[in-house]
Amino acid sequence: MEKIASFVIILGTFLWLFSIIVFEGRWQWQMFSALVLILGIFCAHFWEELRDTGNSEEGDEG
Amino acid sequence: MARERVTQADEWQAWAQRYDIEGGIRTFESGLTVKVFVGALFVGLLMMPGSIYLSYVSGESGAGAAPWVAVILFTELARRSFTTARRQELYMLLGLTGAAVGSGMQYRSFIWYAYFINTPQAASYEIADKIPEWVVPAGDSVGVLTRSLLHPDWLLPIGIYLVGKLLGTLRSVSAQYILFRLTADLERLPYPMAPITAQGATALAETTGKEETWRWRVFSIGSMAGLIWGFLYIGVPSLTGVMMSQPIQILKIPWIDFTQSIEGFAPTGVFAFRTDFGQMLFGFVLPFPIVMTEFIAAMATQFVLNPQILYRFEILHQWKPGLDVRGVGLFNGLDFWMSCGMGKSFSFAVVGMAASVPMLFKMGRTKKTAGERGVFAPPPNRGDFPIWLMGLLWFVGMGGFVWLIHWMVPNFPLSFLLGFAFLYTPLNSYITARTFGVLGRDLFDIPYLHEITFILSRYEEVDIWFAPLPDEDYGRGTQSWRVLELTGTTFTSNLAGTLLIMPILIVSGIVVMHFIWKIAPIPSAQYPYAQMMWPINATNECLWKTSLRDGNSEMLQAIRGDYVAAGFTGSLAIYGMLWVFKLPSMWFYGIVGGIGADPGSMMARLLGAVIGRFYMIKRFGMKRWYMFNPVLAAGFACGVGLIGMGTVAIALVSKAVIVKPF
Repeated sequence: MEKIASFVIILGTFLWLFSIIVFEGRWQWQMFSALVLILGIFCAHFWEELRDTGNSEEGDEG
Repeated sequence: MARERVTQADEWQAWAQRYDIEGGIRTFESGLTVKVFVGALFVGLLMMPGSIYLSYVSGESGAGAAPWVAVILFTELARRSFTTARRQELYMLLGLTGAAVGSGMQYRSFIWYAYFINTPQAASYEIADKIPEWVVPAGDSVGVLTRSLLHPDWLLPIGIYLVGKLLGTLRSVSAQYILFRLTADLERLPYPMAPITAQGATALAETTGKEETWRWRVFSIGSMAGLIWGFLYIGVPSLTGVMMSQPIQILKIPWIDFTQSIEGFAPTGVFAFRTDFGQMLFGFVLPFPIVMTEFIAAMATQFVLNPQILYRFEILHQWKPGLDVRGVGLFNGLDFWMSCGMGKSFSFAVVGMAASVPMLFKMGRTKKTAGERGVFAPPPNRGDFPIWLMGLLWFVGMGGFVWLIHWMVPNFPLSFLLGFAFLYTPLNSYITARTFGVLGRDLFDIPYLHEITFILSRYEEVDIWFAPLPDEDYGRGTQSWRVLELTGTTFTSNLAGTLLIMPILIVSGIVVMHFIWKIAPIPSAQYPYAQMMWPINATNECLWKTSLRDGNSEMLQAIRGDYVAAGFTGSLAIYGMLWVFKLPSMWFYGIVGGIGADPGSMMARLLGAVIGRFYMIKRFGMKRWYMFNPVLAAGFACGVGLIGMGTVAIALVSKAVIVKPF
């Protein structure tokens, strides 16, 4: 999940840079990149929280 | 070697613990006692008339220092009576005195509109006869002509104001509480500026005990530094301004502008060195990574991004050589940064939601104890309220407020009011609560929101300009709940104190304002500041209220979708990349806060942060330094406030003396 989140965020960042350089910063393309980035950031935080749960459950059992 | 990932949860938790100087262990007590209540009323009501009077005479109310004066008086009385004052009592005293001193100012708008309705400007702009009767009685009414707030003509405006105030209290208390629970309890944001007030009250409370601790010593050092600095920075210009035509400024106020000096190699860059070294104290308190990244981002903006990219690509196109910081700032704002800033602000909301939503999902799955991050359960005996009740109160307060506005301006589209009330206000408040939780200040501001709304609504009557809109921000108030927590004051006692003092202040405020208005017309020679400023303000108000008549506003045209999107997406990309490279998420707030800002305004804060990080922590140790610096900052604020009040009083007395030529 961490790798997927990282990939999506990097993809979103490249899309944004692409939209600025190639599409002259048209807001529609930028907002599309923003959607991808939001997806990646949410993935990242879900992974952080779920990983915490995994660790704490392991800790409880231990 | 690969960097180890520190989750945002751990990062915030660590910072929150630094600012929670008692390690999160505290007992909660009521701060509301009869002596606190009477003391606050006494000092507050004694200073309130002076504060109103000063604001009309000099433009400065001097109300900032009043709560500290009350607390110092209170502690001295306690020492001489061989009793002790608890920090909970002193914090309550600070809050209640502040409310009492400021209570007269809530009726300022009545006096202003009583003047405005009869101005030649209002008549020439054809506004005078269109001002609604719920704002001010007619210009030729007895209540206005005889300068009497107690005349029945004022019943409707004052009645509407009071209903609004009641509904406003319902909304603000409930919404602030809910946001506090989300940001402080659930997310454990550190609220770095909250310990300043909390530690000030604690330090002064200790002076009444048998043993004085380090707090009083540190508070005194801060106060003396504040007195000296206040004298140099505020006192000397104020006092020399009384005697000379041109006041002496030891340090140029408010900044030394280097913008024209850098324009040769950094056109469109700004650099104005802010001379208020009081900011150093904030540098001591704020998290070092935020101050540092903010400064670096600001430097990069003014020396690289603005001149080398935005200027070259003619995005910043209005700049011309020879402008000072205000001119460059205005043009840069209109060209790009105002739109970009809006986008940046929205990114704070998204990032906040990304951090909170997974926590809410997870809450039901794990068992944690109160006080841990990700737990909604409050600590015991804090005097918490049921969330559902607060939610209900907010809906009642907001629903009533929307109904009231709809009654005032029945033809204005209800959908806009509902949108503001139930979509914009919660979002705006949540963003501000988060920025206060992390940075200790507000970053979210959509300029010309009302103007945009009025254009989109196609509503053309002038009355809407006089109506309140339900676009509110409760985020700022969440910090005071954190201070309550840090001082160990029960929430219930604070709420009880606020509700008890409110009716007294409502009545006393009207009476005092009535008498001040009766002394002489406002504006008049008796009130020189009002006499100088109010005619200009009346012209400005007329310009604003008629600015959309021809459907053309330069400010509104400055907001561009592609630049808003750039600010929004760019900020998200920065946040994402910091996460990918396992860098602290705190940097995000520094970088995004610093982009577009003037680095000169941050120099003092940076100096404070560097001294704190590289000298003070080594000298005193991390734990002791984080214990010292909020107390030091509180003492400093107290010292500056006292000197400000003293010099304003001297200036006032000297201006009251008229030298006759015979």
